Amino acid sequence: MTKLDRGAPGVQWSADTSPMTAPTAQATAVDSYPVACAACGGQLGVDGYCTTCGQKARSLREHYELTPQPWVAGVCDIGQTHARNEDALALQADATRAVIVVCDGVTTSEGSDVASMAAARSTCDHVWASDPKGLGTPSSRAAAMRSVLVKAVARANQTVIDHTDLASHNFAATTIAIAVVDSSAIFCATLGDSRVYWLPDFGQPEQATKDHSLAQSGMDSGTERAQAEASIFAHTITKWLGRDATDLMPNTAQIELTEPGWLIVCSDGLWNYVSEAARLATLVGELAGEPVTAHQLATRLVGWANDQGGHDNITVACARVGDHRPAQEARASTTSEAVDTTSASGPTPKHT
Amino acid sequence: MAIFTSTVYQNEFLADGSTDVNAIVRITCSQAGVAGQSGAGDVGEIVIVDTSASMGLVNMQAAKDAAMVAVDTIVDGTYFAVVAGNHRAYLAFPRVTSGPGMVRMDPNTRMAAKAAIASFRADGGTAMGAWLLLARSLFASIPNLAGKHAILLTDGENHNESVTQLDASIRQCLGQFQVDCRGIGVEWQVSEIRKIAQALLGTVDVIPGPRDLPRIFRELIATSMGRGVPDAHLHVWIPQGAQILFVRQVSPTVEDLTHRATPLNPLTSWYPTGAWGDESRDYHIAVRLPAKAVGTEQLAARVQLVAGAAILTQGMVKARWSADASLTTRISPEVAHYTGQTELAAVIQEGLAAHAGGDDRTATQKLGRAVQLANQTGNAEATTRLSRVVDITDAATGTVAMKKDIDKADEMALDTASTRTTRIRG
Repeated sequence: MTKLDRGAPGVQWSADTSPMTAPTAQATAVDSYPVACAACGGQLGVDGYCTTCGQKARSLREHYELTPQPWVAGVCDIGQTHARNEDALALQADATRAVIVVCDGVTTSEGSDVASMAAARSTCDHVWASDPKGLGTPSSRAAAMRSVLVKAVARANQTVIDHTDLASHNFAATTIAIAVVDSSAIFCATLGDSRVYWLPDFGQPEQATKDHSLAQSGMDSGTERAQAEASIFAHTITKWLGRDATDLMPNTAQIELTEPGWLIVCSDGLWNYVSEAARLATLVGELAGEPVTAHQLATRLVGWANDQGGHDNITVACARVGDHRPAQEARASTTSEAVDTTSASGPTPKHT
Repeated sequence: MAIFTSTVYQNEFLADGSTDVNAIVRITCSQAGVAGQSGAGDVGEIVIVDTSASMGLVNMQAAKDAAMVAVDTIVDGTYFAVVAGNHRAYLAFPRVTSGPGMVRMDPNTRMAAKAAIASFRADGGTAMGAWLLLARSLFASIPNLAGKHAILLTDGENHNESVTQLDASIRQCLGQFQVDCRGIGVEWQVSEIRKIAQALLGTVDVIPGPRDLPRIFRELIATSMGRGVPDAHLHVWIPQGAQILFVRQVSPTVEDLTHRATPLNPLTSWYPTGAWGDESRDYHIAVRLPAKAVGTEQLAARVQLVAGAAILTQGMVKARWSADASLTTRISPEVAHYTGQTELAAVIQEGLAAHAGGDDRTATQKLGRAVQLANQTGNAEATTRLSRVVDITDAATGTVAMKKDIDKADEMALDTASTRTTRIRG
């Protein structure tokens, strides 16, 4: 925890440890080490307080922002009421490919802030370095990616255990959501209740994978979403990473990209206030009224969640997909055609 | 090297709209080393002895013995001088009329100094301002002394100088050297001597009898020789828009430092603290902040002890606005304790002043409050001293009556000890 606070590794993690993870130039360029007071712009003292107005500086563990590429960005924030930020975010990206990892440490477990950060960082670096092509066909690539993600979750579990105080009576635990996006598809895997949403510009917004939570169990047995998520047990997760984890098989999904849109990976600090994919798509539409960058959208979503009360840690990563590659032509052609043809059916996530 | 640590005692939680932050900052020094031998530079020590006629044979002999013990206690290598004072100030040792007025202590100078002390005779009046000014010149005659300390013994009022003259002399000595003052007998004025000691960062006390004099001088010099950190300043930083309500030393004695502030920059003031040995001192800092939104956490003060350019230690006084009344209504026991002890010192002095002025009604009321505070804050020493001046009917309610025949020495002992505080119990 201390090490993370001081050294700010949360924002420049892979620069020298794994040179094989290519876009280090961009990743390390995003160094949000605070030097100026957020309240008055004064110089921050080495003791963590402003030398002019005395305001306590937020440590980078409490709030950090990553923008490895203009089209990929994320914000990890402590929220309004929690004493610690147990969420963690890690991003890697180049011009066409990105890996997004969000972890949400379980508040009631010990050291989950350390474990979640370690798991997010190592998983992101690991998945970034593993880019299987399969046998060259889309379906064999999908199978290979799914295998990579399932193994990455198991590997993340080991990382959490490596960062668990074995003397603890309450082992560190965290959720994990991994999304890999490239020019043709989104691959994702989740364990727990951190989510991946795909919000195409015209098609049907989707929550890519189901949660491992009692709320989801309720919905699976026929309870309405609103009712299930209002239950006091709604936030009880049924799968997690940690020394006492019992089942590490993630829910995985693959989304073929046919049009531009927003990929959102977030912790429940956001979706608590906007659970349904359609509502999230509407919110993103409102917040992204004029063209926005991924960083602006992530910042606005986190700000919006804080305005709703910020009752939990909030992590939001956004990737603007499909604007900047061949898909752009597809978009141009779809928009020039008729809206009704594209809005009819969006890509269907595959739950496995 | 001396090691400094600081601890802050406070309730940092403020209710919505609250602005005042109180904290006790305890600064502790260990491994201070020996004065003049800690690498911080040479130090000087001056022994000032009252040789006025009122000293008489017994006190004069005791004072000579004590001054010799003091010379024995000064560590070899220390610059020193001995001043004999009556209505004028005499440089008794070294016997020079120009050039450096202090010499390094060694077996030869020690023997010569003792021979000079042996020739003291009680004669003449009292002019302490002149004694102080001579000490000031003597210290100034040795360049680059890192630490400058004197002990001053008197037995009478400052008859041969006006109050204005004495005050002017004290002002000239401010920041130049430290003086520990001691009074013998009952003819000296506590308030007069306290004024000197407080301004020059020293202590004041009564010497119960001539036989105690050598021991007390030895202790004073030994303490001074144990101050390996010759000079340190207290720096208090407050945020923009804030205001220092007061800065007080509250332990081992109560000294209000507020008016001694020197601005260092728009947000920081410094206060002299003199030399440090192995000891610990408590400071009560009160800061008024602009109120902030509930949930905001900020620094209310950075309290640093600084020697030269080196920050020896830093205590951080914080403020956190909270809507939780169970947090905001708590009072730090240390803050409460020292607030009581500060009031105790004030009411003792006010009560004794009223008594001296013939206003026994006010004196009874003030000393009754003092008894009550001493009882509440567990200051047994103060309670004992108070009981020699007032008859205590009920300590809890502060019900007292002035004693019929008050021993002047007891009254003076109560007065000089009034600023001494106790640490919190438990």
